[in-house]
Amino acid sequence: MVTIAFHDLAETNAASRGVPDLRIVFTPHPVWGKTPEEMYAYLVGDDPVTHKPLMPEVISALTKPLTEDEKKTGSVTPPVGPPTYAGAPDELQKYYMDNGMTDFMPIVIPTEEKVAAMLKGTSHSPDEHVGDLTPARGAFPPWAFNVHQVAVNAVMAGATPDYFPTILALAASGQSALFSSTNSLVYAAVINGPIRNKLNMNFGIGTMGPFSQPNATIGRAWGLLSKNLCNGGLPGQTYEGSQGNVINYSNLIIPENEEASPWDPLHVEKGFKKEENVISLFFGFGIQQAQGGWGLGIKPVPHYQEAMVCNCVPFATIFGAFVVADPLVANGLVELGFKKKSDLAAWLQKNATDTVGHLKSCLFSRPPMGPAAAGLTDESVVPKWQRPDAFSFVVAGGETNPYHQIANMSYRMSVSIDKWA
Amino acid sequence: MKRRSILSLLGAAPALLAGSKLEAAQKKSKHSNAGQSMGAGDKIVGLNPRGTPPAIQLIPMAPRLKTLDGKTVYLISDGFPGADVFLNEVKIWFAKHMPSVKTIYRLKAGGFAADDPKLNAEVKANGNAVIMAIGH
Repeated sequence: MVTIAFHDLAETNAASRGVPDLRIVFTPHPVWGKTPEEMYAYLVGDDPVTHKPLMPEVISALTKPLTEDEKKTGSVTPPVGPPTYAGAPDELQKYYMDNGMTDFMPIVIPTEEKVAAMLKGTSHSPDEHVGDLTPARGAFPPWAFNVHQVAVNAVMAGATPDYFPTILALAASGQSALFSSTNSLVYAAVINGPIRNKLNMNFGIGTMGPFSQPNATIGRAWGLLSKNLCNGGLPGQTYEGSQGNVINYSNLIIPENEEASPWDPLHVEKGFKKEENVISLFFGFGIQQAQGGWGLGIKPVPHYQEAMVCNCVPFATIFGAFVVADPLVANGLVELGFKKKSDLAAWLQKNATDTVGHLKSCLFSRPPMGPAAAGLTDESVVPKWQRPDAFSFVVAGGETNPYHQIANMSYRMSVSIDKWA
Repeated sequence: MKRRSILSLLGAAPALLAGSKLEAAQKKSKHSNAGQSMGAGDKIVGLNPRGTPPAIQLIPMAPRLKTLDGKTVYLISDGFPGADVFLNEVKIWFAKHMPSVKTIYRLKAGGFAADDPKLNAEVKANGNAVIMAIGH
């Protein structure tokens, strides 16, 4: 029994798992927030798809003899369409868009010549297996892809060959930027190493905005490949975010402003050498500006750490708190005594607190469990996150003002870009 | 095979499944073969950006019961909010309308997509049918 909101998802998922004729009875949506009486009314009502009485449909699904199709064995390979499409440029733009292969903005048509040029951006063979992707790991079988298939998507995004190793590293991470959840989740990719300068990435003024070709197209390529390499991003089937998220257009691409930062860059924190080129991925609900936080009006050095507490306490602890600090903020924090990122993380873990009662009432947060919960009442004040590594920091921005942004996102992994050069 | 199954198995957008005018035109065109249109008038050839799906092993469904009378039906929640309350209402419906059916409620372990071999073994040992509730 599946609520009607997930009709297409249920059928797509059943088919992708080898049971294309799975007997599914649909109920009205939602059940969450409904009273038992309202749910019982669903049961004595109709299936919203067949418009027949619902529970008799359930009984029939369990007792009606199987059809020949339902007994079928063997294997089926889903078709992915012809290897090429021919047409006038405008026709092809429409074709790629109508068939779910774009982000609904014009693409660069991936001709053989353009893809061949893109492939020159890496030493790896076009046929080399890069990895696999799925719209939601565990829910949909992963699709495989090679260097050539990534290159096609990189061309479509408007990337140039020198961006290609970074795009390959994103693809090799196995993380779909369009992860399918009813939550409208997003990814960020922090880019560290000399490649930021080599590609002329923008880690200064407007770093997270649409002001730089490498920032924009590397992120866009991640979104396009997350659709095309695994049949992702089909609303209702392989994407379920109820409201969607504007960040998904190009994803959060954040080259760290290592030159202006007083702290170790992120990839060094993760065990890489400073001269290595690395992407580090974060995943979660999204990012917000922090100007409304406590302490920012204090002079001469604003108490940025208090604003971070103020803004992260409402976050869900299913993800961490990820701060993108302008260099002015990072240097101010050093003046306040936070010599290392780990000093700030320890302070925030201790001071970002909430009551047990509040945490119990949250959807994606929870109070301490097990021995740590001994003696606690609903009025007890406890750290919202139990470990300092729930907090992450990266320095980016152009120093036009001491501002920071803060995301309810968690660190996922770091991937070498150099491996794909 | 039902149309919905075909659509789902194809794993692609409805527009692709329905076939576009462009694709239909390609089939009629002498330039329909891969790459042969390159340089023909104002036409260009674009490459397919899709990945490689795995072969899907079809799983035959379990034989159906002739009747539910006297049978045990497991009511399994995948853990999304509200599914437990909903399945309790299903249990009440059976008690009221088909009292010979024994219902047992279980919460599947793990995330929504995770297998629960222990529960599967229990159902195979003690149950005759399963109703699984998915949604929220």
